[in-house]
Amino acid sequence: MTALARLKSLVHALFHQRRLEQEMEQEWRTHLDARVDALVASGLSRAEAQQRARIEFGDPLRWKEQGREARGLRWLYDLRADARHAVRQMRRTPGFTVVVVTTLALGIGANTALFTVVNAVVIKPLAAPDAHRLVRSVTVNNGVALPISSAATLKVWLDHRSTFEDVSAHRFDSVNLTGDRDPELIPVARVSEPFFRLFRAPVIMGRTFTAEEDRPNGPPVAVLSHGLWMRRFGGTPSAVGRTLSLGSIPHVIVGVIGSDFDSEQFEPRPEVWVPLQADPERVDGASIYQVTARLRPGVTHAAADAQLRVALDATAPVTTPADRRSAWTARPLHDAMVGRMQSSFNLLFGAVALLLLIACANVASLLLVRADVRRREMAIRAAIGAGRGRIVRQTLVENLLLSLAGGLVGLIVGPLAIRTLLRLYPGTNPFIIGGTGPAIPRIGEGGAAVALDWHVLGFALLLSMATGLLCGLIPAWHVSRADVSATLQHTNVPASGTRRATGRSVLVMSEIALAVLLVVAAGLLIRTSLAMRSIDPGFDRENVLTMRMAVTGTRFETRDGISELARNGIAQVQTIPGVLRASTTCCMPLETVWQLPFVIASRAGEGVTRRGGMSFHGFGGWTFVSPGYFEVFRVPMLRGRDFSEHDDARAPGVAIINEAMARVYWPAGDPLDDRLIIGRGMRPAYEQDPVRQIVGIVGNVRDTGLTQNARPAMYVPMAQVPDAVTAPNVKLLPLVWITRTAVAPYAVSEQMSKALESASGGLPVGRVRAMRDVVSESTARARFDTSLMALFGGCALVLAAVGVYGLLAYWVQQRSREIAIRLALGAEAASIARMVVWQGIRLAMVGVALGVLGAFGTTRLVASFLFGVGPRDPIVFGAIPLLMAVVSLMAVWMPARRATKVDPLDALKCE
Amino acid sequence: LATTTELLQGTLDLLILKAISLRPEHGYGILLRIQQVSRDTLQIQQGSLYPALYRLEHQGFIASEWGESENKRKAKFYRLTAAGRRRLQDETAYWKRLTAAIGLVLAAAPEDV
Repeated sequence: MTALARLKSLVHALFHQRRLEQEMEQEWRTHLDARVDALVASGLSRAEAQQRARIEFGDPLRWKEQGREARGLRWLYDLRADARHAVRQMRRTPGFTVVVVTTLALGIGANTALFTVVNAVVIKPLAAPDAHRLVRSVTVNNGVALPISSAATLKVWLDHRSTFEDVSAHRFDSVNLTGDRDPELIPVARVSEPFFRLFRAPVIMGRTFTAEEDRPNGPPVAVLSHGLWMRRFGGTPSAVGRTLSLGSIPHVIVGVIGSDFDSEQFEPRPEVWVPLQADPERVDGASIYQVTARLRPGVTHAAADAQLRVALDATAPVTTPADRRSAWTARPLHDAMVGRMQSSFNLLFGAVALLLLIACANVASLLLVRADVRRREMAIRAAIGAGRGRIVRQTLVENLLLSLAGGLVGLIVGPLAIRTLLRLYPGTNPFIIGGTGPAIPRIGEGGAAVALDWHVLGFALLLSMATGLLCGLIPAWHVSRADVSATLQHTNVPASGTRRATGRSVLVMSEIALAVLLVVAAGLLIRTSLAMRSIDPGFDRENVLTMRMAVTGTRFETRDGISELARNGIAQVQTIPGVLRASTTCCMPLETVWQLPFVIASRAGEGVTRRGGMSFHGFGGWTFVSPGYFEVFRVPMLRGRDFSEHDDARAPGVAIINEAMARVYWPAGDPLDDRLIIGRGMRPAYEQDPVRQIVGIVGNVRDTGLTQNARPAMYVPMAQVPDAVTAPNVKLLPLVWITRTAVAPYAVSEQMSKALESASGGLPVGRVRAMRDVVSESTARARFDTSLMALFGGCALVLAAVGVYGLLAYWVQQRSREIAIRLALGAEAASIARMVVWQGIRLAMVGVALGVLGAFGTTRLVASFLFGVGPRDPIVFGAIPLLMAVVSLMAVWMPARRATKVDPLDALKCE
Repeated sequence: LATTTELLQGTLDLLILKAISLRPEHGYGILLRIQQVSRDTLQIQQGSLYPALYRLEHQGFIASEWGESENKRKAKFYRLTAAGRRRLQDETAYWKRLTAAIGLVLAAAPEDV
């Protein structure tokens, strides 16, 4: 009770300080007036009475002081006095203040910037209600976890009714929206019936799909997003029941979903939802679904995961080879979505933590200098009775103020900088199935979801305070140990005792060492970036324009239809001035590439692997293309011939393989004399695929990722792919048009879109990209990591240089007397400069040596981020110390010059 | 006279609590009452009353509110809170025990020692 009252009174006092002071005075005035009246009544004159009353009352200042103390407010007043003093100090030495605040702003800003991203991606809870009970099926393949699953896996999940309340599958798609307006290619989600219930989607109009509508060959129905409902139907309720032409098929609109539905989770944000209508028995073994389930109450993630693993292993025979080679897990949805960011964040947080440490060391060292300069001030304070605690507190208050100022600047600049960086960051590419690729999950379009909130503010505040304490403790401790009498007696002690000088040297040395560590890591990443840039992807990325066209629901879903479309489109595009060659393909390099099993006809019986009803010699990339594909991409034809218009359905089956496949599977013998049987056992549709004569060998293309070595790959003519293979293929991935241009690729995009629209009878194209940009997007994550690391490394270098400079400048200033005497005795300026430089270089060398040792021991931690360079790359390990030495030398140069300019007379007169 | 009578540590608090236990009183009134009741034996330096009042208020034993004094002045009136009333009882009991004990010691005859 009294504790509460005390707290209440304290809070009251804190917030109504001014009023309390006024009330105090008012109260005393009343008191004095009453006393004066009483005294006058007893016969004194008013003047006498007033004087007497005041004497009786005593010193109001004393009572005021005691009154504040009585209210527990003393510390507040002291704090305020300290703060006021600190602000005065900051203003008196603006240079110092700017350097310290900037240094801290760098350290805190970098940390805060990164935290805003981590906050948006990892910390913010998912928008779905009860998201902690949602799990997603994750396929782990060669250590890479992808949140995608095959139809077979979906079936196993669906069988676990006791574990899951609901299981839904969905995948993204792009579909042509046609009708009374210009056709457009819009993002669509194909979802199974439980999807909306599972994610608790807010239905604002109509209903979602029924189980009947989700059966294979079910009726075409659609649920609109709020955005499309407003855009196409002006938000009228009568939209439900009308039809929407998707991929030329009229879909009956059954409902509308509210605009607040969970955008961060579904990128790109779908405009329409249509039933998945999946047939587990018929669908390709490829992993194309996102399978999500809601755990039943009381079922833990671990239990669900264990059950599923057992079940999936038991059903291994019906699962596909793609599944067999991998492991499945049921991960909490949040993990499945953001887990792949973990390593990047670890790296970057490691870097910013180092940067903050460097900044702290720098500031601590600067504060030590100032503590030296202010030794007299502190000694005088101590002499007139300030306790050690009081002095330490004052120093800490100053440091806290400095770091809060730094934190504020950092809080403003850091997140702004990261937003700028993220704005350039590519969004989710819907044609990389599974939504993997470089995109950072949950950051919204152009990083829109990366915003300041209470988490970020709290983080910045805590970090600033912690930094202020950390930077300030050493100087505060030093100040408190000042020997009062010694300081006051010797007016100009060569101030820093050796101990303190050593302290600062150690700080600056560790600063250099940490900077070397950070810059080495940055250097390795930069080398990786350069290596990536110089990778030959196997195709010529310059002057190639690509675009996508969805043909689902049109007459082009068949072998003959799509070949005809390709022929007409290519012919029309090639009439555009500036276009050299055009072609089409099912799949773009660096996006989704199919893998199919193959058997080599000449040794069909020997050396085959049998698994799950399939027998094969190996798996290889599988791409269907139109004639001209290799010309557009300038993939070298090493042997044999390219496809031509004559390789059509009537002609014998042909295939082209890449060099890697030829080397691995034909160590002896000539592939051009051999034939391939592709895809048997994968799906019934492939039974109709002709046995294919290998007619050519092309160069390797790194189509699964720039840093991935080329794998065996097969190319087949689009005109020879069975209908039953073509249809599901173009359903999953819209047809790709590619063009080699003589001019800047985007210059022909307008004309090309028009030509293709006319060739296809009005189908729109989308995702228009120069191949150069496709390549660059594929390495966006690496570039993001690298540019941040380079930025942090650069900051570390600057900070270390400032640290060295500060230390030496101070050293020279402290020693100006000694230098002056030496100069007066005839020492040469050059030898003085050498002395100073040597002092600095010695320090730098120790720091660099320590840093290199540290880096040598720790760079294996970044090994997984490296490509084309080892974690102990001699070039980086040679260049960075050199760079650090040069930077230190520059930092040392100015103080050294100043030392030679010391005027003996002035320096000695100072005494 | 007893103007120099030193107040025992903590006694002032007790006196204040007692002085306002009958009815709310403002600062000057409290002083007057203490002097009056003690028949001018106890003199308190007037201003020192206030820190004591603020401390008691901060501790939650008394509460204050603005009102009007007898001669129409704006004055702050202090009253006991429930906690203050308990405190007054405890302190009074303690004080009585203490003075009784001291009285016994002082009254002791030589043969008792």
